[in-house]
Amino acid sequence: MTLNSLRATGLAATLGIFIILPFVLEDYWIYTVTIGFYYAILAASWALLVGYVGRISFAQTAMAGLGGYASALSVQHIGLPPVIGLGFGVLVAGLIGFVIGRLTLRLHGAYLGLTTIAFAEILRITITAEYSLTEGSRGLQVAALIEGGTRVEYYFLFLAVTVACLALMTWLLRSRIGLFFQSIREDEDGAASLGVNVTLWKTVAFAISSAFAGLAGGLQAHFVQLITPSMMSLQEMGLVLAMAVIGGFHNVFFAALGGVGLQVLLEALRELGEWRLVVFGLLTLLILRLMPNGIFGALFDALAKRLMRNGNDK
Amino acid sequence: MTHQLLEINGLVKRFGGLTALKSIDMSVGEGELLGLIGPNGSGKTTLLNIVSGYYNADAGGISYEGRAILGDAPHQLARMGIGRSFQVTKIFQRLTVLENMLVAGLSDGKASRSEATARAAGLLRDLKLERLSDTRASSLSGGQGKLLEFARIMMLSPKIILLDEPFGGVHPELKRFMHDQLRKWNGAGTTIILISHDMGSIFDLCERVVTLSYGDIICDGTPEETRNDPAVLDAYLGDHHGSA
Amino acid sequence: MSMVAILEQSLNGLIVSSFYALAALGLAIIFGVLRVVNFAHGELYMLGGYAYFLAVSTLGMPPMLGILVATMALAAVGALVEWLLIRPVYDGRADRPEEYSIMITFALSILLLNLANSLFGPWPRRPEPLFRGGVELGELIVSGDRLAAASVAMLLIAILLAGLRYTWAGRAVRAVSQNREAAAIFGISVTRVGMLAFATGAALAGTAGALMGPVFNVVPSMGIIPVIKAYVIVVLGGLGSIPGAIIGAIILGQVESFATILIPDPSRALAYKDAYGLVLLVGILLLRPEGLFGTKGRRA
Repeated sequence: MTLNSLRATGLAATLGIFIILPFVLEDYWIYTVTIGFYYAILAASWALLVGYVGRISFAQTAMAGLGGYASALSVQHIGLPPVIGLGFGVLVAGLIGFVIGRLTLRLHGAYLGLTTIAFAEILRITITAEYSLTEGSRGLQVAALIEGGTRVEYYFLFLAVTVACLALMTWLLRSRIGLFFQSIREDEDGAASLGVNVTLWKTVAFAISSAFAGLAGGLQAHFVQLITPSMMSLQEMGLVLAMAVIGGFHNVFFAALGGVGLQVLLEALRELGEWRLVVFGLLTLLILRLMPNGIFGALFDALAKRLMRNGNDK
Repeated sequence: MTHQLLEINGLVKRFGGLTALKSIDMSVGEGELLGLIGPNGSGKTTLLNIVSGYYNADAGGISYEGRAILGDAPHQLARMGIGRSFQVTKIFQRLTVLENMLVAGLSDGKASRSEATARAAGLLRDLKLERLSDTRASSLSGGQGKLLEFARIMMLSPKIILLDEPFGGVHPELKRFMHDQLRKWNGAGTTIILISHDMGSIFDLCERVVTLSYGDIICDGTPEETRNDPAVLDAYLGDHHGSA
Repeated sequence: MSMVAILEQSLNGLIVSSFYALAALGLAIIFGVLRVVNFAHGELYMLGGYAYFLAVSTLGMPPMLGILVATMALAAVGALVEWLLIRPVYDGRADRPEEYSIMITFALSILLLNLANSLFGPWPRRPEPLFRGGVELGELIVSGDRLAAASVAMLLIAILLAGLRYTWAGRAVRAVSQNREAAAIFGISVTRVGMLAFATGAALAGTAGALMGPVFNVVPSMGIIPVIKAYVIVVLGGLGSIPGAIIGAIILGQVESFATILIPDPSRALAYKDAYGLVLLVGILLLRPEGLFGTKGRRA
């Protein structure tokens, strides 16, 4: 088996499993996996920015919240149908992401991280403070995406959107833009010396990553039919980071799997209460320290090595 | 009125209280293979960084093919045909050799992937790196890394290349190979400005040598003239000649 | 405003500055020596508060001993964290050291926050302070617990500065901050200095938490706002600069003290209160990342 056919098989198998799942799971778990898809898109879009472009950001969940609130409010006040509202949410998140990307061009590493934390918190505090518009911490009621939709219907919608997002991300990353992104991660000055417009692509990367996050946020808002500022918190960001790291944040697909997987694990370990997050925190530290490619990354590497040892092509 | 490929006029660069370049006037004609030498701190790399767009200047101007380029971004200059290497190579470690090449080949958005790949294959063959095409750049030896940097620059089809200490730590046989490549490219029309402390290489390759000292040009002539110039000897204190 | 009122506000500002300075100095030392921005600093501060609470309220120790316990405990935690999590940045075990150190300290902060939540619950605790009641300084009246805590803080800062200047370990810390390779060549064990730096930084944060805990409540989220202020101070003063951190702390303390009385406070402005420090932080990072005293070109 070649490496490519290993990849194709893995993808097909994973997709197959997710298609069959709603027919074997109870309602409660179908709901859980659906929420997992929200995190999958978040984790994958974060991995795109951090893993491929090398731009550290802690504003991912804030962007999701921005998209969610933009969508919810546009539906509520302008009367847009939720699907268009989603588009509006994507636009708003993408735009703010573009602006933040532009402002932080000269920042790197921890300075960049700190700035994104500050931006994220400012956004969250603003949304909380403007309670006349957003209902603040009480939470905003949001119109349903599918009127009277069943859990199974939402499941497949979310699955479809997640697959589409991953396909789009993969296409982007396999294209020359993906090469430019990675060259920026490796060496900005070197990339510029070869004709790569580093300023443009750093900004676009932030915008794209934020747009995907905004989409996820919008979907989540119109599914749960409630949105609160807590989805923009740094705690939530820590969860997304954990998901991407544990899954493997140098690969959008692995990061997405980390998202779904950890969300399911979160529900499965319900009895542990608050301790679940402690377990995840420890797991994240361990993986960061010992398995930098994440669990799925390590798994894939191991399988790939097996193949090569059996005398097949690279 | 005809112009030289690269014209530098009255270029001044200060870093805080230090004046790295005092007022540089020089021209480089098309097809030249020019050596830029000078003791450490004389301003060679600073000059290179300004010409390639990484630094701005405090005064003066640069024209390339007749148009003013001071203040343009590095990527713009790269696309205009100004290529450069770095003292410490900036190859993309986690990308393969081919991917390193493709970044350069695809950056202007004009070539297709297959065209760029074909061109890359040709250049890699010239530099004897074609077997390493799918190897991660991090696995390359120091010398191979330097060759890759050359290859990448040539993917831009540059009119002029600025090389900053390309022979640092390179063993003699590889150095000879690099010399042959540079002569070949120069012969095909690429202008080369070469910064090096390796006097052997400079005198071997260059028809013209510009010497900097403390931000001033103190000599501009043939290698023979440079070797005998009292100002140059004084700047170097006479202990750099013949070092390989 | 009367002279007395101004002096009181100023004194309050100085008191608050001393706490901020303690935490900020810890951050500055860690960055100076290890070039790591410790995203978990607020949680180390919080753990100090809980250590004090456990020592004083649960085990019944006298408050001064409680402070000592908190300091020692956090020094140990700091050393452990450095050994287990930070060291890979330096011995080549981390593939991407810069990225790694950012993510691991961030993950650590989330871990510690949830750990405290699980162990102690989210409700606030109020352990016994160092000193109760008001203190009269001429015409000024200051709350005794704050004054006592600030005095301890200032004493510790003085000891720290003296230590950095006059002890061998302090000189080693300064040497490694300025030039790691050169320090190593001169025979300084940079690994040990690194551990010392993180332990000291954690101890300073923990002590600040222990001093502030009785004054402002001990709760798992207690570190989140103070650490933003610590970042503002350290970035304002220039990451890694010790005098910068102290001056930054004094400035911030005074600004906050007078801002609360000078700015009229409609209820929405209050809701944005926490954002002011963040806006200041963003402003500095975007406009003058090297701060007032840092050196330009140092990329964190």
